[in-house]
This record gives sequence, C-alpha cells and structure tokens, in this order.
Amino acid sequence: MMFRIDPSSDEPLFEQLVAQVRVGVAKGNLAHGERLPAARELAEALDVNVHTVLKAYQVLRDEGLVDLRRGRGAVVTGRAQADLSAVERAMADLIRAARAAHLSPDATATLVKEAMR
Amino acid sequence: MTTGILLHRRFGHSRAGQIAISALCGLSLLGVAAGLALSWRDSLPDPVATHWPGDGGPDGFMSLGAFVTVLLVTGAILVALFSAIGFFGGRSAGARRLSVGLNVWIGGFLGAVLAGSLWVQRGLADASGAVTPGWVLLGAVLGPGVLALVAVMLVPADPRAPASGPLAPGVERADLASGERAAWIGRATIARPAVAILAAVVLATAAAAVLSRTWVLLAVPALVVLLALAISAVTVRVDRDGLTVRSALGWPRTRIPADEVVRATVTAVDPLRHFGGWGWRMSLDGSGRTGMVLRRGEGLAVERTAGRGFVVTVDGAKDAAALLNTMAERARTPSGS
Repeated sequence: MMFRIDPSSDEPLFEQLVAQVRVGVAKGNLAHGERLPAARELAEALDVNVHTVLKAYQVLRDEGLVDLRRGRGAVVTGRAQADLSAVERAMADLIRAARAAHLSPDATATLVKEAMR
Repeated sequence: MTTGILLHRRFGHSRAGQIAISALCGLSLLGVAAGLALSWRDSLPDPVATHWPGDGGPDGFMSLGAFVTVLLVTGAILVALFSAIGFFGGRSAGARRLSVGLNVWIGGFLGAVLAGSLWVQRGLADASGAVTPGWVLLGAVLGPGVLALVAVMLVPADPRAPASGPLAPGVERADLASGERAAWIGRATIARPAVAILAAVVLATAAAAVLSRTWVLLAVPALVVLLALAISAVTVRVDRDGLTVRSALGWPRTRIPADEVVRATVTAVDPLRHFGGWGWRMSLDGSGRTGMVLRRGEGLAVERTAGRGFVVTVDGAKDAAALLNTMAERARTPSGS
C-alpha cells in the first residue's frame, strides 16, 4: 500500500500515517490479517524517524485496528465497515416492535443473539 | 576461481566475453573429468556401472567410451543452450549471472558425476558390485555450486546508466504535491503450484536419501528448502531512491535507481508461459528481461535504461507503477525547481 507524508502540514507525521491506515482499513484496501510494513522499512522509505512509525503503530493498536506482535510486526485486525444503513433501518422497526411487546433491551438483545447463532 | 578473475580483469562488461569464459570453464571442468576417467581405463571394469536406482547395486551399464561420450555431448548441448540465452538475452548483469552460473555449474556437475562414479569402480573386476556413490552425488551438486557462486559474484554489476531523456510519454503518475513524500510497500508470496513442486522435490530427494541409507544425501532436500525459503516471499518497495525488491532471507535482492527508470507499468504474468517457472527468472520472449516471479497474475514491469527490463509479481502494482514513474520524474528534475 502507498504511504505518504507531507512535512509542511500542521498535522504531526505519525497522525498522518495513522489516518491513512484508518482509511485503508475502512475502505477495505487493507484486509484483515494483512501485514503492515516493518517499522524500520517504512521509516527508511519515507525518510522519517523509526519512532514516528512505531508511535503511529501504537496508536493504531490502541484503536484496535492492528495487532503488534514481536517478530510478526503490525497485523491488521480491523475489518472494513460495510454499509450499515439497512441494518439501522431494520433495527428501528425491531425496537418499535420490542417496546410494543414490553421486552427489555436485554431480552431483545438475547433474542437477536439466539436468532443469529 | 580463475573464471571470476578472468571475467573481471580481462572482459569487464563485455557480454560475449563473460559468457564465452564461463562456457570454457564449464566445458574444461567436464573435459578434465573425461581425461581422468579415460586415464583410469586399465583399472575399470568393462562395462562400467552408470546408474544406481537408489538402494543397493547399479542397474545401468555402459562401455567407458559411451559413458564419457554421453556426458560430454549432454554437457556441450546444455552449455551451448545456456550460453545462447546469456548471449542473446544478457543485457543486464542479473541475466548474465544466471547464464554464467549455469554454465559453470552444469560442467562441474556432469564432470563430478562422471569422475566420481568411475572413481569408486576402480579396481573392481565386475561393475555390478559397485556401491551407491551417495557422497559423489552430493559433492557433484554442492562443489560446482560453490564454483558457480564465485563466478556469479565476480560478474561485475551493471554500470550506472542514468536516463538522459525524459520519462516515456503517457505513463501513469501518482498525484503527489511537491514536497510530499511517498512510499509504496507491498509483499508477494509464492504460489501454491510452486510450493507443491518444491515439496515434491524435497520429499523425493529425502526419500531417496533415507531408502538408500546415504544420510549425507539429506543435504540435497535441505538445500532445496533453503532455496525455496529464499524465493518464498519478497518485499517490493518504491521510494524516492527507486525500486527495491528483497527476498525474505535478504537474498536475492535487486535495486533499480529511480533515474534509470524509463517507464513502469502493470503487466499480467504467466509464470510458465512467460518465464518457464517460478523464482528468479529470465523472460522467455528474448527481451532479456529478468523477473522475480512468484505467482500468476498482476505484476510490476519496469523498463529501464540500456534496454534492460525487470518484472516482479505483486498485488497493487498499479499504484506502485504510478509512484515509481513519479519518483523517476523527480529524479530527473533538479531539486528545488
């Protein structure tokens, strides 16, 4: 994947990298399980300090988008966001029906979980 | 050793010279072995054993003259083939190295098979009692391999050839603001069919070693595993310096400086049709392009100065090609303008 940084921007360099990975995951360009470049390699290629890349990877880990493992580098764990509008519409109907039937939120959630098994 | 020194000192960057010397070297290794074999004529059985099925005694026999002739002719044909490939397609040092290495290796391999398998039969009255020369085969594979490696390493790298003209017209570029830095990094892993073939070779050679109880032969599958690891995965990197392709083991690797890029494009690669297999390859179309070919499908093709070319199979090659073109253009523009 392509990484770019603009040194003239006000946004810190690590934030620029974080934003690109976020977008990559959301759009599905970075698939679940894909490996991000080794921090040293990416730092060399972009001519930035390796700690800049490591900081970006740590932020991504804290956001749950990548998994950092010794020896394996940064692995993408986030998944692409599918279009959720259909789910949201159906949920509004479900909530209305559940209230009419006097179901508690927990009971409704249990019903959904069981139905999805 | 002398091959390398001669290549380096006497022939420099002459393609024909390098190929000719490596061919002579391969053939003379085979010739020396043939001379040795014929000098043992009086102490060898007639016919001599020429083939061992793997466990126990030999199952193939030939007269000494026929055995020597068969190996000499085989060697001559293969050396001529490898030389022709290097001569007509060896525009880049990488392509010539393949040809030089194969010439030296095949001559040494066939010579060692000839001399080694006859050496163990000296003094025997009947060749059917000859023992399986497992160590001979191992030495025949590894010994010339070392010689070939030395010869390959002494083929000088291509001289720097920065482009004098502009980038080829109409190529894709990445849209980068001036001052913006960018890098494209991708990984490519080897395809299943290649893994299956390599696994079959490893199993077959390991089984042969175990069945014949010649444990020293286990070095052959070990070597194949090492080679397989070397071509199992590569990192492809495009940055301000150009293109770098590096195997997971660190070797083989190749670098194309940005100012030697004429045009980078996306290409569709068929390993068997275009390159005759997987790994570090030379194109079959006679263009002299070299390639790191790991699977079928999308690849990054780079046309470079001095008529050279390179292909690497990798996903997302479109973005990589666009960025490489942009970096090639930047390398041609004096900084600050």
